[in-house]
Amino acid sequence: MRAYLSAFRMRRRLEFQYRGAVLGGVVCQVFFGLILIAIYRALYAGKPQAMPLSQITSYVWLQQAFFRMLLASDPELMDKIRTGSIAYDLCRPLNLYGFYYVRIMAQKMTGSLLRAVPMLLFAFLLPEGWGLMLPASAAGLIWSLAGLLLGLLCVSALENITMGFTMRTLDSRGMQALLNLLMMILAGNILPLTLFPDSWQRVITLLPYAQLLDAPIRLYTGQTAASEAPRIILIQAAWILVLAGIGLLFWRVNQKRLEIQGG
Amino acid sequence: MNTIRLYLHSMRMLIRSQLQYPFSFFLQTLAQLVMEGGEMLAVVLLVDRFDHLNQWGAGDLYFFFGLMSVTFYLTECFGRGITGNFPYLVRTGQLDTFLLRPRGVLTQAMCSAADPRRITCIAVGIVALVIGSRLSAIQWTFAKTLLMAEAILCGCILILGLFMIEAIFSIYSVKSIELVNALTYGGRSACEYPIDTFPRPLRVLFTVLAPFALTLHVPGAVILGKPLFGWPAWAAWVSPLSGIIFFFLIRLCFRKAMRHYRSTGS
Amino acid sequence: MSYISVRNLEKRFVIREKRQEGALLRGKKTVRALQGVSFDVERGELLGYIGPNGAGKSTTVKILSGILTPDGGDVTVGGRVPWKERREHVRHIGVVFGQRTQLWWDVPIRDSYDLLKDIYRIPAGDYRTRLAELTEALQLGDLLRTPLRQLSLGQRMRAELCGSLLHRPELLFLDEPTIGLDAVSKLALREFLQWENRQQGTTILLTTHDMEDIVALCPRVMVLGHGRKLFDGALPDLLGRYDTLRTVTVNYEEPEAVPELPASIPLARDGKNLMISYSPQEYATAELIARLQAAGTVRELTVQPQNIDRLVAAMYREMDL
Repeated sequence: MRAYLSAFRMRRRLEFQYRGAVLGGVVCQVFFGLILIAIYRALYAGKPQAMPLSQITSYVWLQQAFFRMLLASDPELMDKIRTGSIAYDLCRPLNLYGFYYVRIMAQKMTGSLLRAVPMLLFAFLLPEGWGLMLPASAAGLIWSLAGLLLGLLCVSALENITMGFTMRTLDSRGMQALLNLLMMILAGNILPLTLFPDSWQRVITLLPYAQLLDAPIRLYTGQTAASEAPRIILIQAAWILVLAGIGLLFWRVNQKRLEIQGG
Repeated sequence: MNTIRLYLHSMRMLIRSQLQYPFSFFLQTLAQLVMEGGEMLAVVLLVDRFDHLNQWGAGDLYFFFGLMSVTFYLTECFGRGITGNFPYLVRTGQLDTFLLRPRGVLTQAMCSAADPRRITCIAVGIVALVIGSRLSAIQWTFAKTLLMAEAILCGCILILGLFMIEAIFSIYSVKSIELVNALTYGGRSACEYPIDTFPRPLRVLFTVLAPFALTLHVPGAVILGKPLFGWPAWAAWVSPLSGIIFFFLIRLCFRKAMRHYRSTGS
Repeated sequence: MSYISVRNLEKRFVIREKRQEGALLRGKKTVRALQGVSFDVERGELLGYIGPNGAGKSTTVKILSGILTPDGGDVTVGGRVPWKERREHVRHIGVVFGQRTQLWWDVPIRDSYDLLKDIYRIPAGDYRTRLAELTEALQLGDLLRTPLRQLSLGQRMRAELCGSLLHRPELLFLDEPTIGLDAVSKLALREFLQWENRQQGTTILLTTHDMEDIVALCPRVMVLGHGRKLFDGALPDLLGRYDTLRTVTVNYEEPEAVPELPASIPLARDGKNLMISYSPQEYATAELIARLQAAGTVRELTVQPQNIDRLVAAMYREMDL
């Protein structure tokens, strides 16, 4: 357990070192948020929807703030796999899957929190109809925080599966890009899932990608009532178990293969 | 003439290099399709829910989306040396190699990279243009076709100019390249929609500072028969030239940056 | 007027220091990379250019090749000022950086050459004859259809040389061309450079850390240190002037044998070997060897001159005095 914890801490410290890049990233992300909201505002002006505009703007800001969580971003690990130096890690008395799971999680958490805090502060200051509104209820806030944590666990499990692909094919830029883009669309980053046709939403919200950010955001904005929260949490937890199971199996097979091939 | 031959020769070689890894190339091209397809899907779903955006109907919105998509990815496909690689060229000292040859630095940068994977993005853009033109019942004439070609060409040059800002930043080793990204990629995302969608500050930004609206939206609106800003039709022939003016202004700065580079060797 | 003429060349760099803890702005420091360097090179010369890292070698090469603009001094190469007439100038020069390639990684090298032909606007007929000539001299014939990534390091360097000589440059800059090469490749490369120099009359300026390159190729050698020219002349003169210390390694049959030497000469033991450093000016080599032989039965004895780094270090010492 100690080993996993220190892997987590080391990765977190590393993320903190890129403060300069973070600032530029935040400004860029805020700008994108403003553009998206301007478009939705113009659309709303033409044909108002049942769902209030302020829910859409909140959705956009929360998506932008935690954008980093979705990005697959451990080039160092990718290189390790490509060059075969991952063989060193095979010698460690650890479960590799767990080791990298923790590492990826630390990176995603630190990376997105560093960006989310200033962005959300900024978004709160914007006027109604542009900015981030307060959570629908105290219960909603608490449930959404729990949902976000589960979303983090879920996305880390997803990325570990992508890593498994990389180990399989060594050069997986294509596969990785494909999975990432699929995630961008189905997680609601390109278009809020709440703006998808209602019939689609019934299916999409059950997929693992919707568990990452969409589910906690809906709890925050109150689109999902607090009373429904346990059901959402249950879906998230189920996906985490399934995805982690697949990843673990995948890694175990890969690891055997690596050991046989000698790295 | 000789420069164009050199460029075409380089493109042939670049594409052949990329095809050395066919499977990875195929998957990456597919990924590009998913990406641009996703962007298009977003427009389709928005149209499905909202019907129209200001005076623009479904066909108009697809048309504007296609215009931006084709322009942006043509630039990325054929100008990758400037749109993608420049900071890398500076970091690795490749820029020095350019200076050792009897050709312009920008020419060699243009010749140094291509991104044929973008072909699927361009294809999505063309599909959007065709659907948009059908839905909006555009009466195509020779003049309109020419105007669209002018808009796309000037748009490409404008985008090259925008990416050159990134090149200039990297020469002065300014780190906040993300800020330029806000202008280039932000401009692309925003100007997939006609300029009157946006509040005044953004409108000014994308009309005056990074004139996407002048290069793409003004002629696009004339082709759709709904001129922007109440401008006369001839204005649509003139306004795309702003993209070329922008490019030449940035090129002046680029020259200055190169002089700086050659005196500091940074 | 000589082919290359360099007068009082000056170059300063402003280096931004790492931000100090608590300081608002980063400090700046000016480094004088070149402090008034002058030299002349005649057409067809083969000149070795040596000095430790940071001595100003690559700055000089960058200025001579037109990449960098100097802060002071005059340079002409074949009557042109490199940084003022860059394009015209680089048409007449070739450059090979030991660790950087100008060829394409994934396509056959012949295709890279075809592109270089277009870049340098080489007429088709001239290109064909020159390529044939170079591929023969560099033994590249069988490799022309091979992508660069599949070539060995030695083959790659040969391919690189061919690429930089296609346009018949008058002047060739080589930066550590033999780095990482095996002995056979090194010898072949040196032979080729001599051939090119004699056959085409190409002026060659070679920077290297490998003294064997200099010994084999360069009748004239120039030493740079701290941005100043420290030596310019024939290699034996350099060795004679600065070769103040030599090292003798001796191995005796008798393990306990110790030669009687003046106290000023240090003696070190390395396993079975005795190492003695001495200055031939102060102590005659013949005398030393006689004493060493008197102390026991010599199994093996070698006398080594200084290596280049020690020589340069000796030059620094002399400068500081």
